[in-house]
Amino acid sequence: MATSEDQPAALRESGEERQPPGQKMGVGQHILDKGSSMLQSLKPVKQVSQHACSFALYGDDLSRQIETHHYISRLNQDFLQCAVYDSDAADAHLIGVEYIVSDQIFETLSTDEQKLWHSHAYEIKSGLMVHPRIPEMVAKPELENLAKSYGKFWCTWQVDRGDKLPMGAPALMMSPQATGAGVVKAELVQKRDDYYNISTDAIKGSRVEIEEPEWINPQADYWKQHDGKGFAIDIVRTDMKLRVPFP
Amino acid sequence: MSTQSKIPGEATHASTAVFETATAAVQRFRPINQIHQHLCAFHFYSHDMTRQLEAHHFCAHLNDEVRQCLIYDSPEKDARLIGIEYIISENLFLTLPDEEKCFWHSHEYEVKSGTLFMPGMPGAIERVDLEKVCKTYGKVFHFWQVDRGDILPLGIPQLMMALTRDEQLDPSLSLKVEKRYGVSFEEERRKRESMSGPEHGVHPMANGGGGGLKTELRETEMAAAAAAASIPRVFV
Repeated sequence: MATSEDQPAALRESGEERQPPGQKMGVGQHILDKGSSMLQSLKPVKQVSQHACSFALYGDDLSRQIETHHYISRLNQDFLQCAVYDSDAADAHLIGVEYIVSDQIFETLSTDEQKLWHSHAYEIKSGLMVHPRIPEMVAKPELENLAKSYGKFWCTWQVDRGDKLPMGAPALMMSPQATGAGVVKAELVQKRDDYYNISTDAIKGSRVEIEEPEWINPQADYWKQHDGKGFAIDIVRTDMKLRVPFP
Repeated sequence: MSTQSKIPGEATHASTAVFETATAAVQRFRPINQIHQHLCAFHFYSHDMTRQLEAHHFCAHLNDEVRQCLIYDSPEKDARLIGIEYIISENLFLTLPDEEKCFWHSHEYEVKSGTLFMPGMPGAIERVDLEKVCKTYGKVFHFWQVDRGDILPLGIPQLMMALTRDEQLDPSLSLKVEKRYGVSFEEERRKRESMSGPEHGVHPMANGGGGGLKTELRETEMAAAAAAASIPRVFV
């Protein structure tokens, strides 16, 4: 059946058309939406308190790289949950979820679980992860925390290969690294830098004082120490444990 | 009902809270600000109907036929982000390859049975939008199996399905939710009798194509270039 590596032929976008197919919203729907957001409290999404922009690489093909926009809410000092979009615009696609944990929590995970996570140290030190509109000086204490953290990112909509609707199984994503296939393409960084009018190189320079972790667990960024081994998700047929018949 | 205490980790430091007050004030959260709607419904695992949970959907429209939703385990401030659901019109669903269709579930039964509802919304307004939802299909993955007591998001994504007929829903879960949100599924069911599902009927390939599905993790060999580049870890 499907795997996260599939390249479905249908539903590719043509040219610059980024948006999914579908009719424009009518006035009635706009009124309904407005009404709902007034009447419903939407508390969980109001907890979003940080926007970070960075890059991610597909865990089974590091040459496929994307710009990511993380909208982050915090459950405690050691745990963040992020809704990940492909841009910072109102019409951005929701492409996945990332969880971020401190090194203390990461070390409590089983080795099998740790394989699915990536480190953040390089992403921070290199200036690749930025908080748009926030001065570096203000962000520094949080960047120090993030440099020691690990992330687990599942991508559910492979917009970069042109999927106009979310297709196939989720893909495990990895973080940018300093060497080899983990290096983010210069043109991707340039595009981001131009959009925000920033310089990743200059930011890197300003982050030299951020402390590097003394140790990064080698189970994280699994491909680096395991001969380029990656991970993909398959969806396969099985018997469903039932209460009553389905469907 | 606090979930926060169950997650390992220290209470948020004062310096972190100050930083986030600043980011929340200065940064723009445009994609998040598009989220306008809260739907509550039930999901179960595509390989195990006996594992069911309440799922709170916070949805934004990309256009009239595509919605994207963040799934939380509660409607509270400390809710855990456990998944993502995409909701598309019947029209768009029919353009998907058959192999893809089986990952999507129909919404007809969920709406008509009253078990899908919008907490806090007056019924008359809610029903205007539910007329549309009734004809759509959804695709959900959960990344955090809170129902089995995971205090952290462990393992691989899980494909989820939704209710398609009576007696699938665990009555104790049903009661708990009806009580907490002050709704009656039976009463709502009567009010939604006239609603109709997809124009061409629920597609036979939807809802797992009639059977169970499960996700599996597979180790892959990356392209030679990537393998060659993996070197012993020397930081930066």
